[in-house]
Amino acid sequence: MHLKYESQLREPLVYGSKTYHDVTEDIVRPIEAKPSKLWYIGFYIAIALLLFGVYSLYRDVTYGIGQWNLNKTIGWGWDITNFVWWVGIGHAGTLISAILLLFRQGWRTGVNRAAEAMTIFAVMCAGQFPIWHMGRVWMAFFVLPYANTRGPVWVNFNSPLLWDVFAISTYFTVSLLFWYSGLLPDMATIRDRAFTKLRKRLYGIASFGWNGSTKHWQRHESLALVLAGLSTPLVLSVHTIVSFDFATSVIPGWHTTIFPPYFVAGAVFSGFAMVQSLMVIVRKVFGMEDYITMGHIEAMNKVIVLTGSIVGVAYLTELFMGWYSQNKYEGYTFWYSRANLFSPYGWSYWGMMACNVLSPQIFWFRKMRRNLFVTFFMSVIVNIGMWFERFVIIVTSLYRDYLPSSWAVYYSPTIWEIGFYLGTFGLFFTCFFLFAKYFPVIAIAEIKYVLKTSGESFKDDMDKQELMKAEEFAHEYAH
Amino acid sequence: MDKKYWQSFGELNNTEAFQQSAKDEFREELPFEADDKGLLEAKTPRRDFLKYLGFSTAAAAVAASCEVPVKKAIPFANKPEDIVPGVANYYATTYVQDGEAVSVLAKVRDGRPIKIEGNELSPITKGGTSARVQASVLDLYDTARLRFPTIDGKEVTFDAFDKAVSEAIGSGPAVILTSTIVSPSTKEVINQFIAKHPGSRQVTYDAVSYSGMLLANEATYGKRAIPSYRFDNAKVIVSLGADFLGTWLSPIEFAKQYSKGKKIDEKKPEMSKHIHFESVASLTGSNADEKFLHRPSETGAIAVALLNAINGQAVNISDAKLKAGVEKAAKALAANKGEALVVCGSNDVNVQIVVNAINEALQANGKTIDWSSTYNSFQGIDADFAKLVDDMNAGSVSTLLVYGANPVYTWYDSKKVVDGLKKVKNTISFNAKNDETTQLCKYVIPDHHYLESWGDAEPKTGYYSLLQPTIYPLFKTRQWQDSLLKWSGATTDYLAFLKGYWSTKVGGETGWDKALQDGVINPATLPAAAGATFNSSAVATAANNIASAKKGGKIELQLYQKVAIGGGQQASNPWLQELPDPITRATWDNYVIISPALARTLLNIDLNDNGQADAYEVNPPKKMVKVTVNGKSIVLPSLIIPGTHPDTIGIAVGYGRAKEIGKAVEGTGQNAYPLASLNGNVVSFTAADAQIEATGDTYKIAVTQTHGGYDTKQGKRTEVMKELTLSHFQAEPAEIREDREKELAPFGGLEKFEKEGTIYPYYEKPGIHWGMSVDLNTCTGCAACVVACHAENNVPVVGKPEVMRFHDMHWLRIDRYYSGDVDNPNVVFQPMMCQHCDNAPCENVCPVGATNHSSEGLNQMTYNRCIGTRYCANNCPYKVRRFNWADYTGADSFPDNQRDVLNDVVMNMNDDLTRMVLNPDVTVRSRGVIEKCSFCVQRLQEGKLKAKKESRPLKSGENNEWDVKTACQQACPTDAIVFGNANDKHSAITITREENKLRTFFSLEQLHVLPNVNYLAKVRNIEEGAEAKKEEKEHA
Repeated sequence: MHLKYESQLREPLVYGSKTYHDVTEDIVRPIEAKPSKLWYIGFYIAIALLLFGVYSLYRDVTYGIGQWNLNKTIGWGWDITNFVWWVGIGHAGTLISAILLLFRQGWRTGVNRAAEAMTIFAVMCAGQFPIWHMGRVWMAFFVLPYANTRGPVWVNFNSPLLWDVFAISTYFTVSLLFWYSGLLPDMATIRDRAFTKLRKRLYGIASFGWNGSTKHWQRHESLALVLAGLSTPLVLSVHTIVSFDFATSVIPGWHTTIFPPYFVAGAVFSGFAMVQSLMVIVRKVFGMEDYITMGHIEAMNKVIVLTGSIVGVAYLTELFMGWYSQNKYEGYTFWYSRANLFSPYGWSYWGMMACNVLSPQIFWFRKMRRNLFVTFFMSVIVNIGMWFERFVIIVTSLYRDYLPSSWAVYYSPTIWEIGFYLGTFGLFFTCFFLFAKYFPVIAIAEIKYVLKTSGESFKDDMDKQELMKAEEFAHEYAH
Repeated sequence: MDKKYWQSFGELNNTEAFQQSAKDEFREELPFEADDKGLLEAKTPRRDFLKYLGFSTAAAAVAASCEVPVKKAIPFANKPEDIVPGVANYYATTYVQDGEAVSVLAKVRDGRPIKIEGNELSPITKGGTSARVQASVLDLYDTARLRFPTIDGKEVTFDAFDKAVSEAIGSGPAVILTSTIVSPSTKEVINQFIAKHPGSRQVTYDAVSYSGMLLANEATYGKRAIPSYRFDNAKVIVSLGADFLGTWLSPIEFAKQYSKGKKIDEKKPEMSKHIHFESVASLTGSNADEKFLHRPSETGAIAVALLNAINGQAVNISDAKLKAGVEKAAKALAANKGEALVVCGSNDVNVQIVVNAINEALQANGKTIDWSSTYNSFQGIDADFAKLVDDMNAGSVSTLLVYGANPVYTWYDSKKVVDGLKKVKNTISFNAKNDETTQLCKYVIPDHHYLESWGDAEPKTGYYSLLQPTIYPLFKTRQWQDSLLKWSGATTDYLAFLKGYWSTKVGGETGWDKALQDGVINPATLPAAAGATFNSSAVATAANNIASAKKGGKIELQLYQKVAIGGGQQASNPWLQELPDPITRATWDNYVIISPALARTLLNIDLNDNGQADAYEVNPPKKMVKVTVNGKSIVLPSLIIPGTHPDTIGIAVGYGRAKEIGKAVEGTGQNAYPLASLNGNVVSFTAADAQIEATGDTYKIAVTQTHGGYDTKQGKRTEVMKELTLSHFQAEPAEIREDREKELAPFGGLEKFEKEGTIYPYYEKPGIHWGMSVDLNTCTGCAACVVACHAENNVPVVGKPEVMRFHDMHWLRIDRYYSGDVDNPNVVFQPMMCQHCDNAPCENVCPVGATNHSSEGLNQMTYNRCIGTRYCANNCPYKVRRFNWADYTGADSFPDNQRDVLNDVVMNMNDDLTRMVLNPDVTVRSRGVIEKCSFCVQRLQEGKLKAKKESRPLKSGENNEWDVKTACQQACPTDAIVFGNANDKHSAITITREENKLRTFFSLEQLHVLPNVNYLAKVRNIEEGAEAKKEEKEHA
């Protein structure tokens, strides 16, 4: 009998009466089986999107950024909008794994693996934009502070873009390590079950010789804690630094001190929405309903309504400051270019408001939080809203800034700009499909860790004890 | 017995692996503490690391060393005389375009003329230039120039050509059809030709003629000539639709004169007053202190009313605003008799006669109107050409020589010209391009470009300007004077003829050399203004004719010339086509200008409605309209331009050219000349009755500025632009300074703002610190500086499709702002270039430090460090940074990446021939990098070197001595731009800032970006404003 006891009031984290073996079977099954037709369809669509993205970039690199509709006034558009969007999405994984690990939130185990994978893929997608939006991408290495023979030529440490380089590369590295170190025991599990030579060999390499010894577990857990400690500030710092790209500038609508917390909240918001989108599909397709439970979904919906409301407060604060500061340039940006529905980009602001602030309020209702359809629909809406948010910040601030003489013509993307964005979807889903096929989408070891305290069957066992009197209980179990 | 139980062979044999696994099975102390061993003893020692690093770097280097195409530069075997590599030679010559002649200096580098600069020795222009003059150097390298003589389209040698022509015309009579000839020696040549071909005659035809003025002056002064105007002597200027700062008669000269009255002495603020009457918004009207709108058909009535009012009679005009305007103008004029001037842009003889009478009543004759010297620039009388067309159709012309004129394109009844030409046996064209008329000529022998030519010009009687070649002829072309001489049987060539013509006049060979070096021959003493006898007999008839003239219909049409394109002669010039029109800010097209009022009824666009105005502004597709005049129709897009009369529409001539004259004209607009009409002896460029209807289609216009006002609902952006009225300025001269003081008060006030407006430390700025001042009061918005900047800095041309996407590359642009009434607003122009901020927001955001600050205050771009993140452009509050969106210059290492992506115009600009115009001192930027105004850093370096070689401090305007001038400053005809070392207390910039303390402001000063460009506020000479301002203050 396990010594840990969890209240019956808490929803079980794993449903069904499962043994450790059942867990392994359930999670590893998709890896060992042939992929379904659905998987192939999805995978090929993803590959097609990826190839279209590659072609779009080929045009961009060969013919110039003029393949996009950016202009002399609007220097950033879809490119940086998409960058911030993907980076935001890339926040949930680490938040779930690191911060929730430190807070000892057991429910994270069901979703952390996929969320972390999503983080890594999202950051990979995000990284494409600042790289390929460069006019001379073949000189991109100039942003690295490497020793060179060009005399005193060095990077500009004053530039928020340079901070981005460090922030994102650090975040990516730490997230990758965290994710992969968590994968090691599961890889070993697959290796040990492998019945083909190739699989044994590949998973053998991938598991770095894991043998499940106490020492390995001890080191593994220490490492997880260390990386969680490292990641926690990163979760906050990455989007803070991304927000500095705007906050440290002089452009009305960008030059805003509220940005760091507002961006972080927005990032968690969109990240959780993306996790929801994926989880709802994964649990259905792979039949993981027992592991990714309604409880998980509800917990994440709670985070969504919280963070959505935080960004809502941020939006209102901005509007208030636009008026209260009596700064005519900010006033114009916030009250005319944005809040006025009938201004050229008014639709994007109200699209953002509707998607990010108004619609998540539906999650105040438990019924809605536990409704799969609503959850999935809302998760998509939220990500659309968060895309709008970045578009609003970037484009509506730039297109009409200080000098009315430079106010721009209407900006809408070219097919190659859209193509680049679709391409990152291709990259993301190609990676995700491969992940879902070859990696355990749920952390086997970690599920087993909570199985005996929070699994349904073990909770059922507890019913008996619940009814026992204290003396009886002590008599029964004290020795 | 010690029996051993074992579970595996490993345990049995106690293998190492077993020992290890047994050890691993249990928890351990984690080695978080640093162990004692150093790095060198680590498993992977530093040496190995360095080895791997070295190997991978070398491998990457080898892999990256792809083959690069080799381009060969071949040095001179012997140093050519007069050419020092890297040092420019300047030759004085003359820009001649039809009758317009401007004395210029051609900057020649390595045998190639690359830049035109004004000749300061000319008393007419005093070194000023215009956009068209600046752009003319590009015409030299135009790929569409005719390259050899042809007969029936087949190439022939000069000898064969001469032989064929001689046989064809023999000594028979010929008609020489030219645009106005300002060259006295050429006139001699023509006379010789006529003498050899008895019965010949010369017909002068100007596309946009001044026949009305010539005939009116003949009627009233007995001279078929146009006198000099002295705007500098006028305290009150009234213009009836004369665009004298943009396109009328001699705009460079007038702009210079006009600016004299607009320069303000702060101690005693006074200005000339300019009242403008017009129908369609023009450059001059936009500069006026007060502007009144009328229908074109009312011009005569206004002139008569003005004359009556000056003579103390009642003004008989029904429109209240207009009536008030006429009365106001009359009052101002009458109060300044002898210091007043009225000019009129109408081509109607009667109107011009009345205008002459007004000037006579104002005692302008001999004061602001100077008959001591008359203009030779426009001599054509439209009736002469009309008669020639009749003669040609009657078959009475056997030989026609065409030089300069292009009537097939410019004559209102083109078909009749074409029919006539068919009946002329021998048609010979000297035109440099295969233009519309030349295409119909049998014999074509192209003339040199003026930069390849010898010659002379007399733009005003007594003022001469010489031409000398600056480059060996690029093609098999011949000066037309040479041809005429040859066909007259002369043995000398034109050069000898020219020398012969001049040497006695200028005192032999030395005098000739000196004259050639100066480029100008001026009267020994500039003559005092002189009058001419006025004969008033024609005035009454003229007034009667005006009274009985046809009244206008609902909508009237005004044809006008654009500052850049004019009559269309230089239409194939990409710099001019891409030059945003000062008024409409549109490029590459002509369009129908309609007023905001007409737009409401005709197009259902209400500019007073924010939503509709936004939709109109941000979307390049503009509604198409069909304009019908006298049964002729033209379909063009419409642009809504405030300051246009509600019942008048305007269309620019000069567009819709034949594609043979150059890639740049393909698809640019429609020809509006057919909408003109012959009215008695003159061509009328207005139509009293025009029908206009919306077609329902749209057409994309490439506009470079979408929004005109700086007043928003959230506040008037006075930090961007400051303007006030003269009476206000007189009453409260320090207001602008006080406003600035107030704005900056929380951050240390004006004096300490630089130090206290920031948390960062302050640094001294010793040595040179470059600064620029732009006087918005004298800047007329003529855009000469914009083209000068194009030429000096190799600014790429991007073509219409790119401009439409807001990809224009101008380093210097002229912002046009409206204020006040949307129907008839005040206009102010603000040249906007990199402000070279001392605390530049662009500099700190570049991740690679590609843009940084020089110790001399320059904001510098390092092109080869730039990776093109565009962050700097986003963070520039002035939006003056330009990104190379595509391979505009052909400087990219990606081959074939212009094809199908960039338009023909860009491709043409990258032709080897066109590229000869590039300034070798300025890097040609490749794709993917940002560029922007550099304050002409190459000129600054040259100036500093010059001063250094002479071991003296650099001079920038001290005693009017200049080591450095930026290209824009040099091109400016009104000296609105002053540039120099702001740390030098004797420099022009320091003095300008010192003397104009009260009007000085920095755009967006409150941002603490610390610009090095300051502006001097615009002052309008109107009485209103002071009272309103005072009230406003009292309320506050």
